[in-house]
Amino acid sequence: MKDKFHDEMARMRAGVLEMGFFAEQMLSDAMRALQENDTELAREVKERKARLSGQNDTLEEDAYRLIALYQPVARDMREIACALKIISSAERIGRYGKDTAGVVLSLGNTRPDDLVAALSLPHMGKLVLSMIDDALHAYETGDLELIAHHSGRDDVVDALRHTIFREGITYMMEDPRTITRCTNYLMVARYLERCADHACKIAEMVHYLVTGERIEIR
Amino acid sequence: MSHDTIIATEGLNLWYGDTRALADVSIQVPDRKVTALIGPSGCGKSTLIRCFNRMNDILPGCRIEGKVIFHGENIYDNGADPVSLRRRIGMVFQKPNPFPKSIYENVAYGPRIHGIRDRRILDSIVEESLRRAALWDEVRDRLSRSATSLSGGQQQRLCIARTLAVEPEVILMDEPCSALDPIATAKVEGLIDELKKQYCVIIVTHNMQQAARVSDYTGFMYLGRLIEFGGTTQIFESPRDELTENYITGRFG
Repeated sequence: MKDKFHDEMARMRAGVLEMGFFAEQMLSDAMRALQENDTELAREVKERKARLSGQNDTLEEDAYRLIALYQPVARDMREIACALKIISSAERIGRYGKDTAGVVLSLGNTRPDDLVAALSLPHMGKLVLSMIDDALHAYETGDLELIAHHSGRDDVVDALRHTIFREGITYMMEDPRTITRCTNYLMVARYLERCADHACKIAEMVHYLVTGERIEIR
Repeated sequence: MSHDTIIATEGLNLWYGDTRALADVSIQVPDRKVTALIGPSGCGKSTLIRCFNRMNDILPGCRIEGKVIFHGENIYDNGADPVSLRRRIGMVFQKPNPFPKSIYENVAYGPRIHGIRDRRILDSIVEESLRRAALWDEVRDRLSRSATSLSGGQQQRLCIARTLAVEPEVILMDEPCSALDPIATAKVEGLIDELKKQYCVIIVTHNMQQAARVSDYTGFMYLGRLIEFGGTTQIFESPRDELTENYITGRFG
């Protein structure tokens, strides 16, 4: 009976990883669409949302079923708690990818794209995506070294968001024609900052999974 | 440990003939708490609780080294009296084992052999014990009926009442629910929760979820050794020893 349980746990874990990387890809592609003004890609990212929700529902049901049937303890219990938290963070990350794609679509493919780079959004995106990627790989391998500096990395992202906010205001004051674009870009900076928080949440859960200790990464 | 220790072992070893059943067990059991002992079959958990009221003495070929300290005194010292010890440290067994007598007589039996003859005192002891064992309301109208007419769950609670009647300080329970259905099990578990307000309860169980539900502290035993002892939440959420982890998650045992 227990072997069946651990088989099912392994399947759930693989599903969680798949969903995590799927969400990361949504955000990554949305950022690329933003930089390259690629509305086709943005539209495709938006369409992936249905699959993301489906993954979330299936994995959540799997987790509840495993709890009900096997009443797991110790690492098994932590594994399921971790899975539930990770999929909810992954879902948020994917949705922020979808929202970013929405920004690309709402601005249309005729906009000048100079402000995206000027506001350091690609740089911020890269930092955030690497935090998500490291957190997911830490979940995959149990290597806590990958998430050892998430707190500091999150500080960098937060600081960047404040900088982008100030710079955005300056651009808007200088040239009111940029207001629509800039407010949208400030939203994207906000999405990215939230995604970094979710990367930290995932890192916290991985730490709990591996060590049994709860920590707070802020 | 923040709670007062009522019973403790120091370097306890026990052999059945050439077989070493306990190996250097040192444990401190807190008073007015439920302590669960878990581990695979043959790990020594039943042997350990049987040491607490000297139930192993009667087995031929059994040899014990080390100390079991109850209220500061080693219960295996020459002067110690096993009969009075077993009054203070009562035991409930796996299978309900009521005497083939009336419900009333089952509970009154212990106080009687300890010299209580007054019917009114016995009546009040019987009622109080049955109340504490959460059985009174079910049997108050049929105290003279045979104990064997009760259901399995009721019989087990009767055995608990019988143990309580002699006012013990520690109640040892060896797999008290393994012969009971889920509803009777829930009743006994609820009862254990009540009992710990007044008594120290030590329970041996194969049912991991039961240990997690009813106990405040859990000890994991393996091959005669106490591998890990700690708060139940800690043991079941993040055990420190890999053996404990592997056992409670069903990876062996």
